[in-house]
Amino acid sequence: MDGRRYVGIGLLLVAGGLSQASTALGQPPAKAPGLVEEGKYDSGNLGMQMQPAPRRDDAGPVYAVGPWPNYTLPLADGQGRDVTQSFCGICHSPTYITMQPPLPSATWESEVNKMIRVFGAPIPEAAAQQIIAYLKAHYTPETRKE
Amino acid sequence: MRLSRRSLFGWLGSAAVSLALRSPASAEEASPSVTALPGFTGPGANPYWNGVNPFVTYPQKLPLLRVTDRAVQLETPRPYFLSPFTPNAAFYVRYHLELIPNAIDLRTWRLSVEGNVERPLQIAFDDLVKTFRPVSVAAVNQCSGNSRSRFQPRVPGAQWGNGAMGNALWTGVRLKELLAAARIRPGTVQLQFQGLDRGPGPEGKGADVVMKSLDLTDPALDEAVVAYLMNGEPLPMLNGFPVRLIVPGKFGVYWTKHLAWIRALTREDANYWMATAYRVPDTPRGNTTPADAAGGALKTVPIGHVRMPVRSFIVAPDGSSKLLPGLPVRVQGIAFSGQGPVVKVEFSEDDGRNWVEATLGGDHGPYSFRTWEHTWTPPRPGRHVLAVRATDRTGDVQPDAPVWNPGGYLWNRVERQPLVVGAAS
Repeated sequence: MDGRRYVGIGLLLVAGGLSQASTALGQPPAKAPGLVEEGKYDSGNLGMQMQPAPRRDDAGPVYAVGPWPNYTLPLADGQGRDVTQSFCGICHSPTYITMQPPLPSATWESEVNKMIRVFGAPIPEAAAQQIIAYLKAHYTPETRKE
Repeated sequence: MRLSRRSLFGWLGSAAVSLALRSPASAEEASPSVTALPGFTGPGANPYWNGVNPFVTYPQKLPLLRVTDRAVQLETPRPYFLSPFTPNAAFYVRYHLELIPNAIDLRTWRLSVEGNVERPLQIAFDDLVKTFRPVSVAAVNQCSGNSRSRFQPRVPGAQWGNGAMGNALWTGVRLKELLAAARIRPGTVQLQFQGLDRGPGPEGKGADVVMKSLDLTDPALDEAVVAYLMNGEPLPMLNGFPVRLIVPGKFGVYWTKHLAWIRALTREDANYWMATAYRVPDTPRGNTTPADAAGGALKTVPIGHVRMPVRSFIVAPDGSSKLLPGLPVRVQGIAFSGQGPVVKVEFSEDDGRNWVEATLGGDHGPYSFRTWEHTWTPPRPGRHVLAVRATDRTGDVQPDAPVWNPGGYLWNRVERQPLVVGAAS
């Protein structure tokens, strides 16, 4: 994007003669008092969201909305990620992990145990140990990176 | 610790660091740029007014801040709190379990009043609207864990900034009228509320259904409403269509969405959502320490035993622009309390050292947001920290001290907004 832009400016400069060069590219002309910088763009790295189309509702007694969209970022890459995603994902999305602040190892351990003992999550002991090890390896104050 | 104004000004490039050291209750300068916020905050307190989560779009909703996507939890962005009533399309969303209704048939939908009653009811939507007298109440729904991301040390749970709250004009039927029609029998100790949303967990452990109960003697029940309109329109699905319970003054967890069952109980509700979850220390402000919480001797009560403590917020200016010295700025915000009306809002231009009374906006009732404003003229270039605190009818004043409990509930510390004033010459 930027490259093309500079090529374009370069062509303009050539066409207009090299005498124009001193007023191009971030150096506004002296007749604009106070102007410090102008014409800077970048690639829009926050991305964009498409505008939703309206729903077509019928006049019946059923009140419906579409499916709930998922907006899930991937979990940190590493050993135990798949087992974590599949067992924890029975009841909730991995955003329940990524939204947390970095939590101490003991907290992650008790969270996993709560899911099993309190809520009855069907997670075998070996898998639970892998999940706890994975969370400790990526989501504590010492280990969390993303 | 105290940093000089000059050194703080010099630190603007790393304002997050200075704020984390100085005041975890501050709202970070929010100047919108084209780079993204970090993906998480911590282990320090979240310094931003909202949580750091991305904007996402859901049915019937404007872009809101995604906390989690299954179950759905969405935070309301700060600018929507400029008005006393929160638009339905911007109203925050908080579910516990993932099986959220996508479609509801009003031909077969019924609201049940059952349990220890003489005349069990199965009320059709049409009958609810036509048989019972409609009433309207303006009331704030706030999540028990609103502002949880301020806690130090951080606690697990939904990492809300300040946007897990909203105010609406709720229209519906008084709960007491439904109870009278069903004739509650003697021996009833609590009323239990359950909605249509469910989870995939095994029965009876808390991951299948959410049920909340209030004591039959709780005065909040006299003001409770089964609402079918929100700001004059049907409730968005994600806010509890077709009806939800409104309990003015209480935290949102009691405001059951998709309300389908009201049960008169003869024994105290011992289900997970009453006996284990949503409990607060039985101490002033629900405050305790990690050591006491881990000790096991801490007495706790359901959060329904308390009303929402008084809070106030600065909504604008939000730090998105440098201010000019000598030019007046309209500082605007909201205040509310679950203990009846806010009677006073005070504003500080000097980080809470001196306070002046702000001007209150229109009165929409004791449980509504009340807007406030104060015209402030930045005196000189530099970094300024504004603060706000409210007082409610009971005399409760927002304290300038943090609160801590393991659930991350009841945060109501004085709010701050750092601002930068530039030079004009």
